[in-house]
Amino acid sequence: MFLQQLVTGISVGGIYALLATGYSLIYSLLDFSNWAHGEFAMVGAYVAIVFSTFVNIPFLPAALLGIAGGALISYGCEKVTYRRIRRNGAPNMFLMIAAMGLSNMFQQAANLIFSGQYRSYPFKLPVSTIKIGTAYIGVLDIISLVITAVVIVILVYLINKTQFGLNVRAISCNAYAAKVLGVKVDKSIAQVFLLAGGLAGVAGILYGMKYNVFPTMGNVGLKAFIASVIGGLGSVPGAIVGAIILGILETLVSGYISSSLRDLFSFTLLIVLLLVKPSGLFGVDVQDKA
Amino acid sequence: MSNENIPVLEMQNVEKHFGGVHAIDNFSLKLEKGQIHGLIGPNGAGKTTIFNNITGIYAPDSGKILLNGQDITGSKPYKVAQLGIGRTFQNIRLFSNLSVLDNVVIASNLDASYNLPQAFFKTRKYKEREKFLAEKAIDLLDVVGLADKVNEKASSLPYGHQRKLEIARAMALDPKLLLLDEPAAGMNEEESLDLVNFVHQIRERFDITILMIEHHMDVVTGLCDFCTVLNFGKTIATGTPAEVKSNPEVIKAYLGGAD
Repeated sequence: MFLQQLVTGISVGGIYALLATGYSLIYSLLDFSNWAHGEFAMVGAYVAIVFSTFVNIPFLPAALLGIAGGALISYGCEKVTYRRIRRNGAPNMFLMIAAMGLSNMFQQAANLIFSGQYRSYPFKLPVSTIKIGTAYIGVLDIISLVITAVVIVILVYLINKTQFGLNVRAISCNAYAAKVLGVKVDKSIAQVFLLAGGLAGVAGILYGMKYNVFPTMGNVGLKAFIASVIGGLGSVPGAIVGAIILGILETLVSGYISSSLRDLFSFTLLIVLLLVKPSGLFGVDVQDKA
Repeated sequence: MSNENIPVLEMQNVEKHFGGVHAIDNFSLKLEKGQIHGLIGPNGAGKTTIFNNITGIYAPDSGKILLNGQDITGSKPYKVAQLGIGRTFQNIRLFSNLSVLDNVVIASNLDASYNLPQAFFKTRKYKEREKFLAEKAIDLLDVVGLADKVNEKASSLPYGHQRKLEIARAMALDPKLLLLDEPAAGMNEEESLDLVNFVHQIRERFDITILMIEHHMDVVTGLCDFCTVLNFGKTIATGTPAEVKSNPEVIKAYLGGAD
């Protein structure tokens, strides 16, 4: 039973991690909470639905198009909205408010286009399980876990070992100096939005495979926010660890207490953390981000 | 006209207002190759604003800025950096979470035509480039005496070393012109003297032109061939450090007797 819960928890946590890392990257560069991040996942999930059920192409290419959809919508938000707000020299609060607007806008649009009904991808994978000892572990959980692990390893590699990653780390440390040293800051930011949106797309499709696709599914982005607070806002490793912890805790709460208490637990945890340890596990000093 | 006669930096009647304040008022300047030129003046005189106009942080309201005869007025900061202007900051702005080496590598990589797939799969070309950049950065760090600290975090360096790292980082751009914003700020007399020697070395070794903002008069006297004195955005004196020091306008500005 416990092993089963643990695998499910890590698998759910992995989906949160895909969202939380992108969310954290954007936060670390621009110092604002991108509330529309969950909607990037939702858009990705719907793009995959459109191609796999309406257009009727095989699931794998449809999923890849979904990931591209998440990346493009994220990039579009940066290009059309966030960048212009920054150019106007507006305070960061404006970015966050714009993000809330975008989040609602995308939800309403999805509701209008696809109606509120739950949609699922055209295959029967989610129900099958494999037996390990006495535990039954969902095939979907394992697939999701493996995909997440691969994507996260690639992401960590990109950030720590490539010139792109070096530029991003420099900008998050001091955007002004980076600019004067010849780093194309806006270009790097746009690349990060593409990447974060792509990660959200992966998360959206995995989430949709598990819980179906619906217009408000982007609310899972709030879990990414909680995960980032657990790990330390703006820290990518923190986001990963925080997401896994949150996934496991939630699964244990659902499994051993009641699934209806899951979200109540998570948001209570958020408030407690903000009061007790706002810098999170990885201790990125929030004040230091000037 | 031969290349020798073109000034490295020329500013022609540059103006910058913020609201009703004339941050820089009709400012002109010519820097010949190899010169060290000082910008001095009380706080708020517009010195850093001049640096920000040169490096593209602000675009001037009017006037022209030429680098080796090429018009760079209003160019974007990354462009100005690519064209060969390196800069340090009054309050040190290192990438404090990055290693000493990465701080320098970042600035030396401007012309790298890397793309994501290439970087990801680490093609041979990319790897060679990476190695070349690291070696170049280590050479620069050697010049400033930090070669044994390449793997340390920038924030862990003592203050004087952070200043030197900032200069090494600016030099990684292969600049034709180096802008130093109060390099001796917060230094005692001994450290200032060390800095004077260090900047002399840099100039000789890299054959570079330097424009510096500085308050320590002994640093200015020790380094600058010429200087310009500003007050409330206006140039009130130019000349050698000795000439400027005895100028009555300058004395009045510094003693605050203007009102």
